[in-house]
Amino acid sequence: MSADMFHLGWFGSFIPTTWTTGWDGTDAARWMDGKFYVDKVRTLERACFDFILFEDSSMVSDVYGGSSEATLKRGGWAPKGDPVALAPILARATERIGISVTMSTSFYPPWMLARSVATLDHMSRGRIGWNIVTSSEDLAAKNFGMDALPPHDERYARADEFVDLVTQLWDSWDADALVMDRERGVYVDHTKVRPIDFVGKYYKSRGPLNTLRPPQGRPVLTQAGGSPAGRQFASRYADMVMALPKGVPAMKEYRDDIRMRVAAEGRDPDRTKVMFVVSPILGETHQHALDRKAAKDEAVRQHPEGQLIGWSGSMEIDFSRFDLDKPLPDDVQTNGHQSTLANFRKWANGRTLREACVAYRTESMELIGTPDEVAAQMDEAMQEVGGDGFLIWNQPHNRRYIGEIADGLVPALQKRGLMRTGYGHEHFRDNLLEF
Amino acid sequence: MTTAVDPRFHLAWFKSFTPHDWRGPWAGPEDREWMNGDSHVDFLQALERARFDFLMLEDSLMVSDTYAGTAEASLAQGGYAPKGDPALLASMLLSETTRIGVIATMSSTFVPPWLLARTSATIDHLSGGRFGWNCVTSSENRAAQNFGMDALPPHDERYERAAEYVDLVKQLWDSWEDGALVMDEETNTYVDHTKVRPIHFEGRWHRSRGPLNLMRPPQGHPVICQAGGSPAGKAFAAANADVLLALPKGLADMKRYRDDIRELAVEAGRDPDDIKVMFIVSPILADTDEEARELQALMNANAEAKIKAQMVNWSATMEIDFSRFDLDEPLPDDASTNGHQSTLSTFRKFAAGRTLREAFTAYRTESIEVVGSPATAADVLQEAMEFVGGDGFLIMGGTTNRRYVHEITDGLVPELQRRGLVRTEYAGAHLRDHLREF
Ligand SMILES: Cc1cc2nc3c(=O)[nH]c(=O)nc-3n(C[C@H](O)[C@H](O)[C@H](O)COP(=O)(O)O)c2cc1C
Ligand SMILES: Cc1cc2nc3c(=O)[nH]c(=O)nc-3n(C[C@H](O)[C@H](O)[C@H](O)COP(=O)(O)O)c2cc1C
Repeated sequence: MSADMFHLGWFGSFIPTTWTTGWDGTDAARWMDGKFYVDKVRTLERACFDFILFEDSSMVSDVYGGSSEATLKRGGWAPKGDPVALAPILARATERIGISVTMSTSFYPPWMLARSVATLDHMSRGRIGWNIVTSSEDLAAKNFGMDALPPHDERYARADEFVDLVTQLWDSWDADALVMDRERGVYVDHTKVRPIDFVGKYYKSRGPLNTLRPPQGRPVLTQAGGSPAGRQFASRYADMVMALPKGVPAMKEYRDDIRMRVAAEGRDPDRTKVMFVVSPILGETHQHALDRKAAKDEAVRQHPEGQLIGWSGSMEIDFSRFDLDKPLPDDVQTNGHQSTLANFRKWANGRTLREACVAYRTESMELIGTPDEVAAQMDEAMQEVGGDGFLIWNQPHNRRYIGEIADGLVPALQKRGLMRTGYGHEHFRDNLLEF
Repeated sequence: MTTAVDPRFHLAWFKSFTPHDWRGPWAGPEDREWMNGDSHVDFLQALERARFDFLMLEDSLMVSDTYAGTAEASLAQGGYAPKGDPALLASMLLSETTRIGVIATMSSTFVPPWLLARTSATIDHLSGGRFGWNCVTSSENRAAQNFGMDALPPHDERYERAAEYVDLVKQLWDSWEDGALVMDEETNTYVDHTKVRPIHFEGRWHRSRGPLNLMRPPQGHPVICQAGGSPAGKAFAAANADVLLALPKGLADMKRYRDDIRELAVEAGRDPDDIKVMFIVSPILADTDEEARELQALMNANAEAKIKAQMVNWSATMEIDFSRFDLDEPLPDDASTNGHQSTLSTFRKFAAGRTLREAFTAYRTESIEVVGSPATAADVLQEAMEFVGGDGFLIMGGTTNRRYVHEITDGLVPELQRRGLVRTEYAGAHLRDHLREF
């Protein structure tokens, strides 16, 4: 027996490619011309990925060592291009694959977001997703003229109202408003376009939108909040939830929880897909894959700063201050990210910081082996969890790795009947709901 | 020895991300999916073939219901809405061309500055330095209401805010020095952090810590375009703009307008040649002058429709309900606007001593009338530039369809090229290079 067919998405950023691995080509100097990304999305479409998703952030972190030196030196948080501006080019270069872009409810004016996403949905002929985030960094808030972000749960209360408003704006034009009656000289029937007069606690907007209803009606909504407030929000709106629970039992629990919450909101749980982040390590042989992982671990052991910079940015704690060969001191505090810090301590469980960096994975489960072995591991996991698929996180970010997934792993999955070999539909959501 | 003055002038086109002509005899097959960008890509490629400097995409952020208190006329006409986001279209269009520039309109009243700085920087990178921002302050309370305000700030205050806004956006672009991306393998350094700095901008209206999270755009600053004709608008343009879109009526006013701007630029400490003033024209072309005149007469014959279209448009941008006025009386003295003030005052001057019906019938959105064969049209443009001194024309086709575009790009432009009045090849790589080429 094998699992039902599941979905694959690609998770990444509009950032430079690798440039010191020996397999870097020339993209790290030219990535901002977009050509690497055009090739990438075409490759993923050839491999029948459901979608590519771009995360985003709005700052240059300077927490680690009290300076932006380390993050800029390595290229992590920045430089990063605006994925919304890249999306039209990717849409034009492809025909079926979904394209989801991150836009923050804490920084965008809702009306503007509604129109940009609607425009992208038209440009892509119904293949756009909006990855809804509330943002987590005060440094980003300062770029937008605030002193700090609103508190965590309030951000979700705002996001809730924001999405309600944006959805109403998309709905402010009926699907058949465009009549193009040449004889009577009527382009749009005004009775099918209505103001919404939205007055909420946080937002106001008169409406209507000034553009045609998006082809999908509502572009695909994706979300990744893992807190209770985040999950509750996702259960009301999300078509797809990205998740990072650790290990198969936790994955199952996470998915069951989301499905339960979705059902409690009166929605069909099959219409919210839960997808788990993974970074498979592939090799010609099993041993070769293990060797690659060992080499990767050793590289982190020698240069753990990359991981430390990431944590410094997200927890707003300067990890450069600590002894790498001791555990995180007990008296370290943070203002805004208490639960993240608490989870970190629990997970690190007495490891030295260096070993914590080696052990830490931005993924739900480890996948290592030949393409066929990894396909089998994914099969097994999906049988346990029940669905709905995986998000490949590009590690390392270069053509070689993309090729390994698209031309190695994907055919192995297709052979096992676990992955689509073509797109059944034109719209992103229809493909996501195909199975 | 005298050095010959370069007789060449610039060409650009004005368009919205709205449907092309959908009603006329040359509208082509019905295109309900114009928002996918296909027809605009064809359009821009035609302009690039004709070596235009740029396409300028205007924008607005509302469905107007000022005219007769309902959105009926405005939506039936389909000029203001539906309309797509021009910055996103610009990104797509630039990816399908290699030399021509695209300018997209974004409002300093509504877009958060950090977002605008980053989006523009991204598109400038993606296009290899061919992007421009048309900085408008917006003119409609209806738009303000979509963004949660009750009304726009007053006209002149909008320009004060815009001046600060532009300052902030430029500082964000400059927060990364050129050459910050070093890719030094020896020290394992991708970006040199000493070349990236917070800006800690604390203005009266805007705040931002910075830095931007992206390298400095290829042009340093993407081209800044502006179209304000009021005293506040002109002063702002003279201080900040690379290119100005203008609608003064007739050669004398055109010359005065340009001289004025150049003087203001000098006062602002700038080289006046760094600001190009582009005048709006809507040429009517045909095989012969006589045919072109007939065509023009045909357009004016449908006066009722023409008057209404103009009134509906201005009701939107000026938020004055023109349907209330008696067409057989002059424009009432007390009609005023917090929106396009300079447009209204130009029209008032134009309409002096005429009834509204007469004024609207005669009025065209253009600085000078260009009607005739390509040769005659070229004469008119050439003489105008000789009189005014520069810098070029912004074509605004009332009804943009493929036939009209090709009349310009394949009829008028070759005629201008033969006379050495416009470029036959691009010289530079960036949009600003095109503007400063001559
Ligand atoms: C796979 C994944 C992708 C994410 N992408 C982004 C992103 O692009 N931008 C962002 O600000 N946050 C991003 N986040 C953070 C989430 O939006 C969310 O804030 C985080 O998971 C913590 O959950 P909470 O907000 O419910 O506390 C991502 C999280 C995950 C797991
Ligand atoms: C050719 C041209 C294009 C314009 N494009 C826009 C536009 O896209 N969006 C907008 O809100 N205003 C646009 N305007 C209006 C100007 O920004 C300005 O408000 C108007 O010319 C009146 O000048 P004033 O603001 O100085 O009174 C345009 C004006 C002209 C002449």
